[in-house]
Amino acid sequence: MKKVIVLMCMLLLLTGCKVKEYKKSMFYMDTHIEVKLYDIPKDKSKKLLNEVDRIYSEYHKLTDRYNEYDDLVNIHYLNNTLKVNESIEISPKLSDIINYGIDAYNKTSGYVDIALGNAIDVWKKYREEGKSVPKTYELLNLNVDIKSISLKDNTFMKKKDIKLDLGSFVKGYVTEIVAKYLEDNGCEKYLINAGGNVKVGKSYKSSKFSVGLEEPFNTSKVYDTLLVENTSVVTSGSYQRYYEVDGVNYNHIINPKTLFPDNYTKSVTVVTKDSGYADVLSTYLFLLPIEDGIKLVNSLEDVEAIWYSDQIYYSENFNIYEQV
Amino acid sequence: MNKKIAKIAMLLSISVVLALIESFIPLFNMMPGIKLGLANIVIVFVIYDLSFKDAIYISILRVILIGILRTGLFSISFFFSLVGALLSVITMYLVKRYSKLSVVGVSISGAISHSIGQIIVAMLFLSNINIIYYLPILLISSIITGIIVGMVSDRLLNYYKSI
Amino acid sequence: MNKYDIKLIVIILFVVVFILFLTRKNNNYANVYYNNELVLKIDLNIDKEYSVEGYNGIVKIKVKDNKLKVIEETSKFHICSKMDYTNNGVIVCLPNKITINFSNNELDTIAG
Repeated sequence: MKKVIVLMCMLLLLTGCKVKEYKKSMFYMDTHIEVKLYDIPKDKSKKLLNEVDRIYSEYHKLTDRYNEYDDLVNIHYLNNTLKVNESIEISPKLSDIINYGIDAYNKTSGYVDIALGNAIDVWKKYREEGKSVPKTYELLNLNVDIKSISLKDNTFMKKKDIKLDLGSFVKGYVTEIVAKYLEDNGCEKYLINAGGNVKVGKSYKSSKFSVGLEEPFNTSKVYDTLLVENTSVVTSGSYQRYYEVDGVNYNHIINPKTLFPDNYTKSVTVVTKDSGYADVLSTYLFLLPIEDGIKLVNSLEDVEAIWYSDQIYYSENFNIYEQV
Repeated sequence: MNKKIAKIAMLLSISVVLALIESFIPLFNMMPGIKLGLANIVIVFVIYDLSFKDAIYISILRVILIGILRTGLFSISFFFSLVGALLSVITMYLVKRYSKLSVVGVSISGAISHSIGQIIVAMLFLSNINIIYYLPILLISSIITGIIVGMVSDRLLNYYKSI
Repeated sequence: MNKYDIKLIVIILFVVVFILFLTRKNNNYANVYYNNELVLKIDLNIDKEYSVEGYNGIVKIKVKDNKLKVIEETSKFHICSKMDYTNNGVIVCLPNKITINFSNNELDTIAG
């Protein structure tokens, strides 16, 4: 009997041994964001988390399509207040993110396009009604030409009435900035989950971070678990925002070439270090046939991906992220 | 006095040989902690025939010798064996002195305390709570080996007394 | 062997049952060991069959509904394949030198 009691006490002692974790939840860019910091002093964690909140908040305002803020030239301003052919000086941060978008367009053969705002709006309207699908002529006449954007030395101008929408990569982009901030300020062990967009630093335990991949259309289940460290895990899926008409799925990722969404796969998850890059790639791959996507990923260095479709497809070395 | 030292030395070598033989039987090294504990036949015998102190000496020396011969001195295995052996001897002495258990009962107590000791040390060393899952199966095997060792020691003690 | 010995054994058996009851937990990972060496880690979330090399031959393991069972192995008494689907405790296939225990690799987060 005495031995049992001793055992119980030991058990209780053991359960107390855990690495200290500090976390903060926030809601920006229409997304629930959770940030966890490990193995740092409490007062430091407070400072870091507050600044992380401030960074997300700042970019939220800057990239907000639906609201304007006093004394701030943001996306809403550029889309709705700025007139065609009117120049305006924008902040370096906003300029950087727009340039990132233009660069992404060039690097993805035009599949990741920040000028799709007008098309996205049409689809949003139809999706909210949920009954039908836009007619082709409704989309063809829209201004979605990215070439009509002019951005030189922080001076922005649009030659046509396009609307910017940064949704294809903004979460990853800002998350990467936040991660860099944490690392530059002495916090190497962290986990960020911005609405499913995951970025982790160094692990706080003897094994790496366990990141589960949610099953499309059945998100309470996990279909695979990855062991990762110092990397990002970003997914684009047709289950994230969609509606159905006559049994066909219409999701929120619009193909700039057709102005319609695609259904090559239910989801594709990209694993690579940079979060912005991962976000761009996941959008790009989602709009490609799986076979082409696999070829593309295999040609890229330090990038792996997994597709959840009629079956599960992997890039060549994806298994380095899976279990023993 | 010399006779006693000679006797202890002989018993020590017997326990070392028994432990050595056991370490070569492949059946008992796929699950941590499950062992026959043949060497404990000697320890139990010494607790009854000689003294508690002698039993401690022989236990410690045996673990050291096996450490030199098999597991490696100051390896993890050595440390575990030492803790298990000490816990076992101390428990057996206390049980023999303060309870009405027979030789078999004392031997069982030695076996289970050895097992529990190993589990606790393993949990602390490896910081892994899941090791406790091994306890039920270890306890059951301890009962069985405890009975076997106890019965053999009992026979030996009777035989030795009747000489 | 006297009556006190029997009492001791009974107490220990009770403790064994008590611990089995206390440690009843749903784990989501299984660890397969061959001769005390980790050879396979199994995610119990995925229904799948696995084959591991045991001392006597192939040991087949099946995962279904977050639980695991040894379905095929070569041995005299087949004790370990008689055990039912489980996700806690320890499964020991002594003749094949295979041990399976369970752990909870709790997910740090879910991506999607």
